[in-house]
Amino acid sequence: MPKITVDGASYEVAEGRTILQALDDQGVLMNGVDIPHYCWHPKLSIDGSCRLCQVEIEGIPKLQIACNTPVRDGMVIHTRNERVEKAREGVMELLLINHPLDCPICDKAGECKLQDYAFEYGVPHARTREPRRAGKKRVDLGPTIVFDQERCILCRRCVRFCREVPGTGELSVFSRGDQSVIETFPGEPLDNDYSMNVADICPVGALTTKDFRFKIRVWFLEDVPGICTGCAKGCNVHLGVANNRVYRYVPRRNDAVNGTWICDEGRLSYARIGADDRIAGHEVRQPDGRALPVSIDVALEEAAERLRGVIDRKGAGAVGILASPHATNEDLFVARRLLEALGSSQAGVAVRTGRSDALLIQPEKAANAEGCRRLGFGPAEALLERARGGAVAALLVLGHDALATQGPELLETLRGLDVVLLADSHRSELERVAQVVFATRVVAEKHGTLTNHAGRVQRVVPAVEPSFDAHAEGEIMWRLGRALGLPGFDGAWDLQAVSKALAETVPAFAGIDLASVPPDGVPRADR
Amino acid sequence: MVISDAVRSAIDAEIAKYPEKRGALLAALHLVQREHGWIAPETAKAIAEIFEIRAIEVMEVVTFYNMFLDRPQGRHQVRVCTNLPCSLRGARELVHTLEQHLGVEAGETTPDGRIHLGHEECLGACAWAPMMRIDDTYYENLDAEQAKKILDSLK
Ligand code: SF4
Ligand code: SF4
Ligand code: FES
Repeated sequence: MPKITVDGASYEVAEGRTILQALDDQGVLMNGVDIPHYCWHPKLSIDGSCRLCQVEIEGIPKLQIACNTPVRDGMVIHTRNERVEKAREGVMELLLINHPLDCPICDKAGECKLQDYAFEYGVPHARTREPRRAGKKRVDLGPTIVFDQERCILCRRCVRFCREVPGTGELSVFSRGDQSVIETFPGEPLDNDYSMNVADICPVGALTTKDFRFKIRVWFLEDVPGICTGCAKGCNVHLGVANNRVYRYVPRRNDAVNGTWICDEGRLSYARIGADDRIAGHEVRQPDGRALPVSIDVALEEAAERLRGVIDRKGAGAVGILASPHATNEDLFVARRLLEALGSSQAGVAVRTGRSDALLIQPEKAANAEGCRRLGFGPAEALLERARGGAVAALLVLGHDALATQGPELLETLRGLDVVLLADSHRSELERVAQVVFATRVVAEKHGTLTNHAGRVQRVVPAVEPSFDAHAEGEIMWRLGRALGLPGFDGAWDLQAVSKALAETVPAFAGIDLASVPPDGVPRADR
Repeated sequence: MVISDAVRSAIDAEIAKYPEKRGALLAALHLVQREHGWIAPETAKAIAEIFEIRAIEVMEVVTFYNMFLDRPQGRHQVRVCTNLPCSLRGARELVHTLEQHLGVEAGETTPDGRIHLGHEECLGACAWAPMMRIDDTYYENLDAEQAKKILDSLK
C-alpha cells in the first residue's frame, strides 16, 4: 500500500486512489487536512473543473489538482504553503469575478462553500471594474428546485449527479466560456425521485429546494442525527431543528446505507412529524361514541380494566398485539414481553408496501419492518384471520399501517372484537373502533433503535418534543403490563434496562447497547 | 422536424468513418442544419436516437459551437469577425455600420427574415482582416461600402 505524506503526517492509502479520495478514505479530508474543493464529490465522477484543490507535490514543478492526481508511494504533499495559498486566492478571485454577491438574500448563506472559502482563502476586495455578468434569477427547474444562474460556479456536480445517480440526466452545461450556463432540455423539467439532492451538493446558492428555501436561516438550525422513516432503507439524515420544530431532512453520510443521498419522498416526510393530524392526547371512548380526552393514567386504567375483563372471560391467550413497523426495536421487545407475560401468541404486523428502485427506495414503507420480523412478528393476515375465527378477543393496535394493507375490512374485524386499544401518532379511522386511544411519539421524538432492510441496527435520539402528552409505544405497553400486574413489569419505565434485556435475550440483538450504537449503526446480516 | 432519408444515409456514411459513433456527431449536425436551417429540440431528439446519447448531450454540442443554431434565424448568416486582429483593422466599426445599414443590432435578424447579423471570434483569416463570413463563404479585406453592397446583394 502506498505511503503518502501530507503536511508532515503520513498515511497508508489504497492503491489507485487520487489524493482527495485517499484522504477521504482516511476520514481526514476537511477534518484535519483541509483541501478546499468545489467540483469533487466523494460519490460522483471526477471533473477537475474548479481548480481549487491545487496542492504542491515534491518533485513536480507545477501545482497539481488533488482531486485527480493519483497517489504514488513516497509522495510528499503540501496543502498550505504560500504557493498553494496564492493559487487558491487566484482561483477564488476568478470564481467570484461574476458572482452577484447577493448573500443577504441568498438562502444558501450560512452553509455556502463559496462564502466559506472566500472567507478562508479569498481576498476581501475585487480588482475588476467591469460590470458583472447578469444571469437569470429564480429559474423554475422543475417541481422541486429553483435555479439562480448568476450564483452558479459551473462545478457540474448537479449535471454529474443527474447522470450518475438517478441516471435521468436532466441537466447540462449549455453554451461555452463565460456564456456557459446550466440548463435542462427545452421543455423538460428536472424531475426525478432524487432531485433534491442537487441542492445539497451545489456548493453555492444556485440550486435551492422549493420546500426549504426562505423558511429559516440555516444558522438557527441544529442538526440532529436521525433516520428517515419513509421506507425500510433507513437512510441516515440530519434533522434541521429550531424552535422545537423540524424544518428539513438533509442526508447524513453513511457509506454502508445511503452514501450521501436520500430520496425526495423521504426528504419531505419530515412534515409528518409536526403535522396537523397528530393524535394530540390520550382518549377514552364514551358510551355515546364521543372521545373523552384523558390523562395517560386514566387511559391506562381504562385499558387495563377492559383487558382484565377479556382475560377473565376468555383467558389471557385471547389478547393480541398488532404491531407497528414504525415502532423501535425496544418498543417491539416490550410488546413481545407483554405477550409472553400474558402467555399469548397472538402477534402480527402489517407493513405498507409500494414502489421501489435499485438505488435506495425499498418496497416496505416503514423504518423497522425488519426489526418486527426479527422480534417474531409475523404477517398481520394470520393474526386477523384468527381474530375473525374468534381466537382473539382483545387487540392492542400499534399504528395504522394495517389500514393501508387490509383496507376497510380491518375495521369490520376490529368491530367484532370485545376490546380494541390503539396506540398511534396520527389520526385515522382506527380511532373510531378503539375504546382507548394512546398518543404515541414518532421516531423523531424518542430514543431507540431501528433495524433496516439489510439488518443494520441504527440509533435514533429525540430531535423534538411533542407539544402534548405522548409516549413511546414501549412505555405505554410497559405501564399497561404493570397496571395488569403482570410478572416482570414492575418498577418505572426504563428504556436502558429494556435495551439491555433485548440484547441479552434476543440473539439478533446480542451485544447491542442502545447507548453505544455508533453513528453509522451496527450491521447484523444474519437473522 | 424529421430527418430526411437522404440526410440519414449521409449521417450513416459519416458514422462509418469513426471508431466511435459519437465522433460523427458534428458532421451529422452540419448535415441536419443544412437541411433544416437550425437544430430544433425535436431534431436534437432524433439525432440523439441515432447516436444513442441523451438529447441534452446533442444540445450541449449545438450550443457550444456558434455555427450551430438552436433557434431559427434569418436566411443568411452574416458573421463579422471581431477578434483582435480584425478589431485592430476596424471590425467593430464595420459591425456598427452594418447594424445601421440593416436597422438591426448584432444578434438580431432583419424583419424580412433575410439576414441574421452577428459577431464571431477568430475565423482564421487574420491576414485579410477585416473579414466576415456569410453562410459558408468568406469575404475579406472589407471596407464599409463593399460590405454594404455585399449584404444588399443577398436574396
Ligand atoms: S448549479 Fe450548483 S452544482 Fe450545478 S454547476 Fe452550478 S454551482 Fe455546480
Ligand atoms: S430511500 Fe427510504 S429511507 Fe431513504 S430517504 Fe427515501 S424513504 Fe427515506
Ligand atoms: S476539486 Fe479538484 S478541480 Fe475541483
